[in-house]
Amino acid sequence: MSRRWLLSITIVCVISGLFLAFQLKVQANNNNTNPLSQKNTNLVMIIKDLETEIKTQEDQIEKIRNELSNLQNQLTRGSLQELQEQLKAARIAAGLTPVAGRGLIITIDDNKEGLKTNPQDDPNKYIVHFEYILNLVSELKIGGAEAISINGQRLVSTSEIRCVGNVILVNTTRIAPPFEIRVIGSPKLLAEITTSGELDILKSLNYPVSLQESEEVIIPAYKGDLQFNYSQTVKED
Amino acid sequence: MWLLPILGLIIGAVIGSAITFQVPLIYVKYMSIAVLASLDSVFGGIRAILEDHFDGTVLLTGFFTNTLLAALLAYLGDRLGVDLYYAAVFAFGVRLFHNLATIRHALLLRYRQKKYQEPR
Repeated sequence: MSRRWLLSITIVCVISGLFLAFQLKVQANNNNTNPLSQKNTNLVMIIKDLETEIKTQEDQIEKIRNELSNLQNQLTRGSLQELQEQLKAARIAAGLTPVAGRGLIITIDDNKEGLKTNPQDDPNKYIVHFEYILNLVSELKIGGAEAISINGQRLVSTSEIRCVGNVILVNTTRIAPPFEIRVIGSPKLLAEITTSGELDILKSLNYPVSLQESEEVIIPAYKGDLQFNYSQTVKED
Repeated sequence: MWLLPILGLIIGAVIGSAITFQVPLIYVKYMSIAVLASLDSVFGGIRAILEDHFDGTVLLTGFFTNTLLAALLAYLGDRLGVDLYYAAVFAFGVRLFHNLATIRHALLLRYRQKKYQEPR
């Protein structure tokens, strides 16, 4: 057999190897950086680890805050008493204490029945979007709500209600349906403003919605941190 | 004799992974077609050697035109909104398997002939 064929097939092989290496490299990198890749268990694990870390730190913050308020309550003499009352009111306003009172419990869920009967339809029409909750919360605030929580997350001045992919973030915590919105305030007024607004819209879109008045709605405290690094109080002359 | 092409393949792969150059993500699709076309050429060449009608020029020109044209056609198809990509994958895929089958047949035939001739 002649040696002529050896050279040409070797050239072809070298270039093929080059191509193969390029392609393999790209594919390998692809799996690592694509956040939607199911193979990417690494990122999921990091997120889960961070979430448990946040949870433990939040618990620690709560513990320290309780200790602080206990210590403050012991100092109830003379002029300090008035300051204590102010501090207490401020803490309630900031959402740092669990509160209870008359109010409403509103639950919203995805329209699972509707999706079951129309499986070909766009599922976006049947899931609860963050805008619905945002609108509802705004209406509750107009109705004089004193404290609001969504699935156990207390809404404070820094709270967000945000859509990230297929979940909703409240206080940077992922929440999932069914959504339970607890609110303290005048039950009659709150019920009126929501049933003539967002709740009515949701009902007309066939979402399972329920509204329940309660004499004792318990709303948990905000567990996250509240740090103000940039804001400073303006001095009044 | 067979060692040199295999060595070439390994050398190519080593060079490819050593170079930091990376194909931009938008061209990965066309690169994958080029890879398929080049593999097809390699197996086509092996088949031609076994069937004793190997021609170096045919192999080399076929290799370069096939890979380039495949990638270009896939690109053109994307511009035109026709998925020529799948046509190329299908064509090269079918040919690859056909070549592999022929190589297997040829090797088996040689092995049997040798075995048959040995006792004499």
